[in-house]
Parts: sequence; structure tokens; C-alpha cells
Amino acid sequence: MAKKHTSTFVLQRASAVVLIPLTIWFLISLVAHAGDSFVDMQAWLSRPTTSLPFAALIVIGAYHGRIGLEEVIVDYIHSWLKTVLILLSWLAALAVMAIAVWSVYQLSFAG
Amino acid sequence: MAGSPSPSRPLSPHLQIWRFTVTMAASITHRATGVANFAGVVLLAAWMFAVAQGPGFFYPIGEILTSTLGGVILAGFVWSLCFHLLNGLRYLYWDSGRGFAPKWARATGWAVYAGSVLLTALVLFAGYAARGGL
Repeated sequence: MAKKHTSTFVLQRASAVVLIPLTIWFLISLVAHAGDSFVDMQAWLSRPTTSLPFAALIVIGAYHGRIGLEEVIVDYIHSWLKTVLILLSWLAALAVMAIAVWSVYQLSFAG
Repeated sequence: MAGSPSPSRPLSPHLQIWRFTVTMAASITHRATGVANFAGVVLLAAWMFAVAQGPGFFYPIGEILTSTLGGVILAGFVWSLCFHLLNGLRYLYWDSGRGFAPKWARATGWAVYAGSVLLTALVLFAGYAARGGL
């Protein structure tokens, strides 16, 4: 158990560090594409140099966020509901990751 | 340690006895913005999926995004990201074993609140200017 928690601690920090440049890039992109038409926006997002970091932001963000959600859950919920909520946090995170990966495939790599 | 504490066991001092400190507020806000950011990431994934499906699928989402409600959600998400980013940097600095002196911890706490508001204002102002006004 001790080892598991140590690695969660490290992975939470490691994902946080990776999310720093991705978040800054996202905020800049938000400004840069604020006035885009749908066609311009789709063209921009379809470039692998956009879709891949965008999906990385979502996948790593969901991973990092799920660790945080579990921390919050175990701090406040002490009943059977705790296990259910942790399971739900995994389901939500994995669903979000799958949607991001599928979207990248559709945008940048499908036919 | 499993199960709920028995009623006879003394509970730790509860919320009402704590004096307000900015370090405490930043800690609570860090959690709240973290949960909000998770919701934001869910919305981002939905947005990305909608863009991939094409203009017909995206249309209603574009309508929400350009509405007042969409603007409020987006502005809130931007602030939530900015706060969590800046305070997260503060915590990474703490992880390096520095920045714990009460005076310095308070100063950086206030700086994170001020910085998050300034950064949000900058992003929103630049974004709306790029869009050609509200």
C-alpha cells in the first residue's frame, strides 16, 4: 500500500508538470481562435500538431483530475458510497480519454 | 481505519473554530477549481468530439458557446484553470521543500488570487478583442 500511494503522489505531480505547458498552450489557443468560423476551427483542430496536444491535454487532464477526485472522495465519504464514487471517477476519466482519442482519429487520421 | 468514526470518539476541531487564513482559502479553492476543471475537461472532450462530427452536429454547441450562459461557463473555466495552474505552481514549489515560512506562504497565496484574476482578465479581454468585441 505504501508503495502504491507513493507512486500516486509522484504521478499526480508528474502529470501536473506536463499539464503546465499544455494549459498555457490551451489558453493562448483560446485567444488566438476566439473569432474563428467553424470551418477555420475544424481545419485548425484537424492538424495533428493541434489535435494531438489537445487530446494530450484532455487525457492527462482527466488522469490528473481523477487522482484529485479520489483524494476529495476519500476525505469526505466514508461509507460504501466511497467505492462507488471512486469507480465512477474511473469510468468518467476513461470515457473522456476514449472520446478524446477517438476524436483525434476522426479529425486527423481517418481517411 | 475503515468505517465511520464512532460517535463517542472526539472529533477534530471543526470549521467554525478556524481563523481565516489565505493559505486555507487557497487550499479549499484549489480543490474546488480542481473539481471544476475535471468538469471542464469533460466539456472539452465533448467539444472536440462535436467538432470532429462536422458542422451539423456542432451547430447547437456553437449556439450555446456564443450565448451568455456559454460565455459565463467559459469565463469560469478560464479562471478555474488559471487559479489551479498558479496555485499548482505554488504547491510544486512547496514540494521542493521551500516557501513554507508563514509570511511567504501567505504572500504567495494572495499573489495566486490576484494573478489568477489578472490572467483571466487578460485572456478574456484578448479573446473578445480577437473576436471583434462582445
